[in-house]
Amino acid sequence: MRGRTRRFLLPPWWFAAPALLVYAVVVLYPSGAGVVYAFTDWTGIGDWSFTGFDNFGKLWSDDAARGSLINTLLLTVAIVLVQNGIGLLLALGVHARIKSRALLRVVFFAPAVVSPVMVAFLWKYVYNPAPDEGLNGLLGAVGLGGWRQDWLGNPDLALWSVAFMVVWQFAGYSMVIFLAGLESVPDNLVEAAMIDGAGRWQRFRHVTWPLLAPAVTVNIMLSTIGGLKLFDQVYAATNGGPGYASETLSTVLYKQAFVFGNYGYSTAIALVLALFVAAVSLVQVHFLRGREVTLA
Amino acid sequence: MTIGRLNRRGFLALTGGLAATAGLAACGGSGSDDGLKLIGVADQKKALDELTKAYGKVSFNTSYAPTDQVQSSVRTQLGAGNAPDIHVVYPGNGSAMSMVQISDANLLADLSDQAWTKKIPDGFKAAYQNKGKTYIFAAGSSVIGAIYNKKVFTEVGVQPPTTWPEFLAVCEKIKQAGKVPIALGAQTQWVTQLITYALVPSTVYAKDPDFDKQMAAGKASFADSGWVDALEMYLDLQKRGYFNDNPNGTTFEQQTSMVGTGKAAMAIQVSAVLPDFRKAADGADDLSMFVVPGADKADDVWIPAGIVVGLGISARSKKLADAKKFIEFLGEQKNINAWSEAVACVPFVRDSSSKIDPVLEPFLPFMENNKAVPFMDQAWPNAEVQPAHFAVVQELLGGKTTIPDALAKLDQTYRKS
Repeated sequence: MRGRTRRFLLPPWWFAAPALLVYAVVVLYPSGAGVVYAFTDWTGIGDWSFTGFDNFGKLWSDDAARGSLINTLLLTVAIVLVQNGIGLLLALGVHARIKSRALLRVVFFAPAVVSPVMVAFLWKYVYNPAPDEGLNGLLGAVGLGGWRQDWLGNPDLALWSVAFMVVWQFAGYSMVIFLAGLESVPDNLVEAAMIDGAGRWQRFRHVTWPLLAPAVTVNIMLSTIGGLKLFDQVYAATNGGPGYASETLSTVLYKQAFVFGNYGYSTAIALVLALFVAAVSLVQVHFLRGREVTLA
Repeated sequence: MTIGRLNRRGFLALTGGLAATAGLAACGGSGSDDGLKLIGVADQKKALDELTKAYGKVSFNTSYAPTDQVQSSVRTQLGAGNAPDIHVVYPGNGSAMSMVQISDANLLADLSDQAWTKKIPDGFKAAYQNKGKTYIFAAGSSVIGAIYNKKVFTEVGVQPPTTWPEFLAVCEKIKQAGKVPIALGAQTQWVTQLITYALVPSTVYAKDPDFDKQMAAGKASFADSGWVDALEMYLDLQKRGYFNDNPNGTTFEQQTSMVGTGKAAMAIQVSAVLPDFRKAADGADDLSMFVVPGADKADDVWIPAGIVVGLGISARSKKLADAKKFIEFLGEQKNINAWSEAVACVPFVRDSSSKIDPVLEPFLPFMENNKAVPFMDQAWPNAEVQPAHFAVVQELLGGKTTIPDALAKLDQTYRKS
């Protein structure tokens, strides 16, 4: 009887047909076609032929692609750790009962709503290598002239300068997610721990932190995906340079398609990147969900 | 319930109406006559604004964008079969939007029956023609040389040099006077190539004018040619402290401003960007150009002179006849002159009415005496060699690679196709 009612209440499947059709045309078909092109030598214009797994073989032996994979992984690890670390500290800071905390929340979150390209251009000014400009000028003014650097022009530094720029922009975003997590930690649990004599660190470590696990899962997953796909900021700030020092998988696949005209190869890189992101996300979710606790 | 039904009906009517309107608008877009569609690069805007207005026979729907954006958007449109009637094309080969690459895919209309094509000098044919047919209109050639601030030269008491030792001596004097001899904005990637391009005509082509043919035949290599000398000279300038600090972190805009304001004495640049330098200077007359002497004897100096970015017609254009008539119009001498003046280039064919920017005069004897070679990338077989050159120069400036490794990388990239 119950089952029948439920079935009666379910709308017929074809109600979803228009939406599915649009989804199929706009998302599924292009993605599927993209997968096909990954196995061809398409140049974006003219004829093409199937080349089997050649593009994937090339990806394996291509120095630039391998270098960019390493850069992408380094960037991702740096961004995930630093962005979420700072995000958590900011969240704990503005969660406390301090003056103007609403204003501070807005200030910290503000960069996240600016276009990444704008942020990159802004930071290009900050990273101006001239000794009396931007960050170098500031370092000079506070007596740290010896720390002046060619932030984006030094091949050893460029990648980390880009990473810092991304962290600056999105730490506030992580903060908001952690804040949402902190809001859901019941005050009575914290108070109970306090009455039991738990200090500030112990309360955080044994009460807040375990209950923050869902926010940690979301933050780590979002920043990992963001890091692996990083394109705008790198493209606008360094265009992968100097040399290949800050090239990421996304800038390589963009250049392969739109600068070199190797659409087939570029699609193969995109496919590998998509599968890689999916795999990393699945593994992360599996492990992080495992450590989430619920209030029974 | 009634309200619900009305809402649903209203919603359906609204979405249906919107869809129908969108559909009609789309049909209207393809069917209506909104003139010849033209997409160019930003550098062409000034010339084309003037010439499309002067033409007056058809209306135009024009848009302009920076090189990298145009490269990706027009090529995508070409692939999808909806390219604009007239669009930017790069001369010769060597980039994804170059004449050879697009005409090989049968996407450019043959312009060989137009009168101006008969006047293309032999030395420039490779830039305009593929397999004997002309596919691109371009007004003339720009040169690469030193754009210098005359005030700084007068202040320091130096004259434009004519040999490499003189060039080094001039730089030394400027450095001693506390100015930056050469501004280099190598963070902007295309800027990295210009010093090599300024030197290679003297170190490679003056000795072996057929170098490109030998490269194509696999009988020569970058690593075993005058390219080694050119890169050694490039890095020697850095070692002697003749560049600004941190060239890899300095942009083209900073480079122009350094020369314009007299903080630096010169920049090795392409004449097409003279307008940018003039904007940065107090007065346009503060700046002039000289040939970068890449050889120890003045007689052995050759220069790079490359055909400027041009226009082609989409082979699938529905308005092929109209588009061809406009290109025929551009090929008239007075229009070639007008375009050349707008972009500060030397017209590929000249008459008494051709006005050449006076700062380009030192370059003309080289062009007349066949001591000028096209920009190197225009003869390269694929679009990857030029970006590889940008990258290795940045790595050399950053001390991350050696000249033999850099040139081996270029050779490897050249042989990819």
